[in-house]
Amino acid sequence: MAVEKTSAWLELQQHAERLGERHLKDMFQADAKRFERFSFSFDKYLLDLSKQRIDGNTLEKLIDLAQQQQLKPWIERLFSADKVNDSEQRAALHMALRQPEGRVLRHEGEDVVEGVQRSLMKMQQLVERIQRAQWRGYDGRPISNIVNIGVGGSSLGPLMVCDALEQYCPAEVRHLNVHFVSSMDGSELEKLLPNLDPATTLFIVASKTFSTVDTLANANTAREWLLAASKQPIELINQQHFIAATASPAAAKAWGVPERHQLLLWDWVGGRYSLWSVIGMPIALKIGMAQFRKLLDGAHKMDEHFREAPLENNFPVLLGLMGVWNINFLDIHAHAILPYDGRLAQFPAYLEQLEMESNGKSVNRAGQRIDYRTCPVLWGQVGSNAQHAFYQLLHQGSEPVMCDFITPAVRYDGDGAELQEQHQLSLANCFAQSRLLALGDSMLSDNEGASSYKHYDGNQPSTTLMLETLCPETLGGLIALYEHKVFVQSVIWEINPFDQWGVEQGKKVATSLLTTLAGGAGDNLDASTEGLVRYIQEQTRGVNHED
Amino acid sequence: MKINVYGSGLSAWVAAACLAKVGNDVVIDELSDGPMLSLETISIIDDEPGLLGQIQQQIADGRLVRQSSDGEVAATVHWLALQPSEQHIAERVIDGLSQAKAVALLVINQCNFAVGASEKLQSRLANVGDVVYVPDNLQDGAALQGFMRPNRIILGTDSRRALVKTKALFRPFSHELDALQLMSSREAEFTKFAITGMLAIRLGYINELANLADQLDVDIGVVQDGMGADPRVGHHYLSPGCGFGGQNFSAYLSTFSGILQQQRDASLLTAVIDENELQKELLFRKFWQHNQGDVKDKVVAIWGASFKPGTASIDNAPSLRIIDALVSQGVQVRIHDPEATANLQQHYPAEPLISYVDAPLAALDGADALFLVTEWPLYWSPDYVAMLNLMRTPLVIDGRNVFDKDMLQQSGFIYLGVGR
Repeated sequence: MAVEKTSAWLELQQHAERLGERHLKDMFQADAKRFERFSFSFDKYLLDLSKQRIDGNTLEKLIDLAQQQQLKPWIERLFSADKVNDSEQRAALHMALRQPEGRVLRHEGEDVVEGVQRSLMKMQQLVERIQRAQWRGYDGRPISNIVNIGVGGSSLGPLMVCDALEQYCPAEVRHLNVHFVSSMDGSELEKLLPNLDPATTLFIVASKTFSTVDTLANANTAREWLLAASKQPIELINQQHFIAATASPAAAKAWGVPERHQLLLWDWVGGRYSLWSVIGMPIALKIGMAQFRKLLDGAHKMDEHFREAPLENNFPVLLGLMGVWNINFLDIHAHAILPYDGRLAQFPAYLEQLEMESNGKSVNRAGQRIDYRTCPVLWGQVGSNAQHAFYQLLHQGSEPVMCDFITPAVRYDGDGAELQEQHQLSLANCFAQSRLLALGDSMLSDNEGASSYKHYDGNQPSTTLMLETLCPETLGGLIALYEHKVFVQSVIWEINPFDQWGVEQGKKVATSLLTTLAGGAGDNLDASTEGLVRYIQEQTRGVNHED
Repeated sequence: MKINVYGSGLSAWVAAACLAKVGNDVVIDELSDGPMLSLETISIIDDEPGLLGQIQQQIADGRLVRQSSDGEVAATVHWLALQPSEQHIAERVIDGLSQAKAVALLVINQCNFAVGASEKLQSRLANVGDVVYVPDNLQDGAALQGFMRPNRIILGTDSRRALVKTKALFRPFSHELDALQLMSSREAEFTKFAITGMLAIRLGYINELANLADQLDVDIGVVQDGMGADPRVGHHYLSPGCGFGGQNFSAYLSTFSGILQQQRDASLLTAVIDENELQKELLFRKFWQHNQGDVKDKVVAIWGASFKPGTASIDNAPSLRIIDALVSQGVQVRIHDPEATANLQQHYPAEPLISYVDAPLAALDGADALFLVTEWPLYWSPDYVAMLNLMRTPLVIDGRNVFDKDMLQQSGFIYLGVGR
C-alpha cells in the first residue's frame, strides 16, 4: 500500500486539518512550557522545534508513521552494509569512513574499516609530506599551493569544511594555500593560474569515476599549463604535480597519475557523502590530520546517536520528520537554510546538493510513480546577509517557507570584546527573525492599526539548531545529522536517496551536441536548440573575421 | 672589578671568560633551574675554538665562579648577555637589583631585544644605577678574538657618570682603538640591528645574482670580482653560497625583521630571510633537477655540515635543510665533517638513511653526487683521481664555489657551482 493511503499518514492528515487553523502565536500563548516540551539536547547540540507548527500529538503521530515505515529496521540495514542503494545494487557505507580504528564492518566478505584506515594512513603520509614542505615540484622547490579539481561531491564538501574551519589551520602550515576549481568552462582556472607559480603548485584531481568531463577538462588545462611553463617531460609533471582521489585507479593511471600518488575510495561511498574519505584531503591539508580525525569523530558520535537513540529523542529522526510534516501535511515546499555564522557560508550550497540530489525523486523503490511531495526546493545564505536579500519574501511573500536557523552558542572565546559583541549582535538577529517569522505582528506592541503593507502575518515555522561552538567535532556532527535526516525522509517517502539518475542523461546529450557545435550534423534538434547553435556558429565566424 | 654575568649563551660565556682573564672577579649566573651541567657537555662552549680551555683556566685561577647570584649585589657591574627572546629574564634581574640597597651600579646590556629596550631597563632600575648598551662583536668561530681585540666598540648611553666607569671596564680591550663610538642607547641598539641586516641583504643580493647567473650562463665569480673592485661596493660579504646560518646572526635578523614588520607591512629584510631559507636547499634542488626528480635510493656524499668552517655548531645550518630534503626523498646520505658529527648525531637520532664517515673520501664510495656544503680548508684540494674512481656518478655540487670549475670538468666531473 502506498504510504499516503496508510493509517498513520491519514491520521496525520486529519491532525493537520485540525491544527492547520492554529497560529503559532496562539500555541505559544496557550503553553508557557513549549520550549521545554519541544526542544531536545544531545552532546554539544540543541534542537529547538518549538517554533514548528506542532502540538503534543504531532510528534507522537509522526513517530507512528516512522514506525509504520519500518524506520528502525531501515537504519539497521543502512548500518549493516545492506544494499540500500537498490537501483545501483550498492551499500551506502559513508558511516564506515568515520568508524574508529579497530572496529569491524563486513561488506562482501571484507572488513571495510581496515581498508578505510589504510587509505587514511596513505593520505596522512602525503598530507604530512606536503605540510613538512617536502613534496617537491619539478624544479625541486616545495609545494606551496594546492588546487583541488573536482565538482559536486568532490568539491562542495571539502570547500565547505575548509571554509568553516579556517581558524583551525595550525601555524606551521599557514604557508600552504588551498584552492578549489570546479566549473567546466575553466573560469576559475583562468582567474587562478596567473597568480600561481607552476613549480610550486600541486593539483588534486578528485573524481570518483575519474571520467567526469568537467574535472578532466580542468585537469588537462592545468597539465598543459605546467608543461608549457616547465618544459619538463610529462612523466615528471604527472608524478610531482598530480594526486588522484578516486575509486577508479585504472582510469587515473591511464591519465598519468602514478599509483603511489593515488588515494582510493570505494563505490559504496556516494559522491555527496565523500568528504570523510580521501576526497577530504584538502581539509586535512588545511587543518591537519589530527583535526580531520576530530571531524570524523564528531560524525561518528552522531552515527551512534542515530543508530541507538530512541526515535522520540533522535536528532536526525526529529529533523527529518519535521520536514515530512511541513511538506506533506502543511503543504510547504520551500526550505531556507540560514546559518548565523559567516564560517558556514558554504553550508547552504552543500545542503542543496545533499538534500536535493538525494531526495529529489518521484519514483519509489518499487519503481512506481508517487503522487505525494518529496524534497522541497532548498536554498540559503548566511542569515544576517540574507536579511538584506530574500527575508522580505519570508516575512511578507505569498510562499510558505520553513527555515533552519543554525548558530553556535559561543564564539570568539578569548578574542576581543568587539568581536564577542558582534557575535551577540548576530545571535540577537537570529532570534529576532525566528520570533518575528513565527509570531508576526502579535509580538509588536506598536503595530496595532498600522498600514497593511507594514503587516506581518507570521506563522512561518522554523527549527533552531545550536552548536556549543563551531569546531571540527561539532561540524562533523552537524553534517552527519543532515545526512541521516535525508535518509529518514527517504524511508518515509519510500525512495532511494543514494542514486542520481536525473543527472546522467544531460551529460550524454551534451556529448552529442559538442559534435553539432563543431559543425557536424545535428540529429533531430528542436527548433530552439537549433536556433541557438546557429547563433553561436555565426558569432564565432564573425569574431574570427574581425581578428 | 666585581662583575656578575647573566646568561648561558655563547656571548655570556665569552664575556665571562674574557673579563676574568683581564683580572676581574666574575660570577656567571646561568639562570637555569636545573642542575649545573659540566662544562664539557655544554655544546656552545665545546663548539667554540679555545673557549672551553679559557673558562677552565679562569675557574682554576679562581677569578671565574659559576653560581646563582640571587640577591647578591656585592658586584658593582652587572652584565646581561641573554638571548633575544629572554627580555623577561633581564627584567627580573633588573627588578632584583633595584630592590637591593645598592648605589651606583653599572649594568652592561649586551642583549639584542629591541630598539628602546635599554631605556626600559633603565626605568626599571631607577636611580640604583645606569644601564649602558654595548653591542657584542660576536662572530661564532672567532668569538674570543672578537672580544679581546675588537675593531670598534660602540657605547650606547646617555649618562656621563656611567661613561667614565664603562670606559674603565673596557679599557683592557680598547687601548689600541683610536676612539670608542659614543651614541645614545637607542641609536646603539638600532646600529647593531642595522649592521646585521645590511650584511644579510648583501648576502641575499649576491645569492640572487648567482641564481640568475646560473640561468644566463654567466660566471658569478667574474661578476663578483668586478663588483668588489668598485670601492663603493667592496669585496667583503660578497661570496654567493647556499645560505647563511648560525645562532646569533639568525636570531638578530628575525628580531629585527619583527621590529620592521611592526612598523611596515613587509620589509626588504623579511624577503631576504625567506629567500635565504630557500637558498639553503639550493644544492638539493640542483641535484633534483639534474636527475629530473628521480632521486630515490641514490647516494649523496656531504662534505661539511657545520654552519660555517671553524665551528661544530649546526644551528640553522644549510646542511640540515639539505639533509632533511634528501632523506624525505629516500636518498642515502653520507656525511663528513671534522667537528660537527656529534651534533648531527644528536639532531638525527636513529635515521637509517644517514651515515657518518671519518675521512672525506670514505663518503664518496658509490656516491651519485658530492655536495660541498661547508668550506672547511681540508676539502679545498682533494685527490681528484681517487674521487673519480670512487663515485658512481661524478657529479660535484659545490655550494661554496671553492673548486676550479675548468679543472674539474677537464678531469671528467660534472660540476655545478653557485652561479657558475
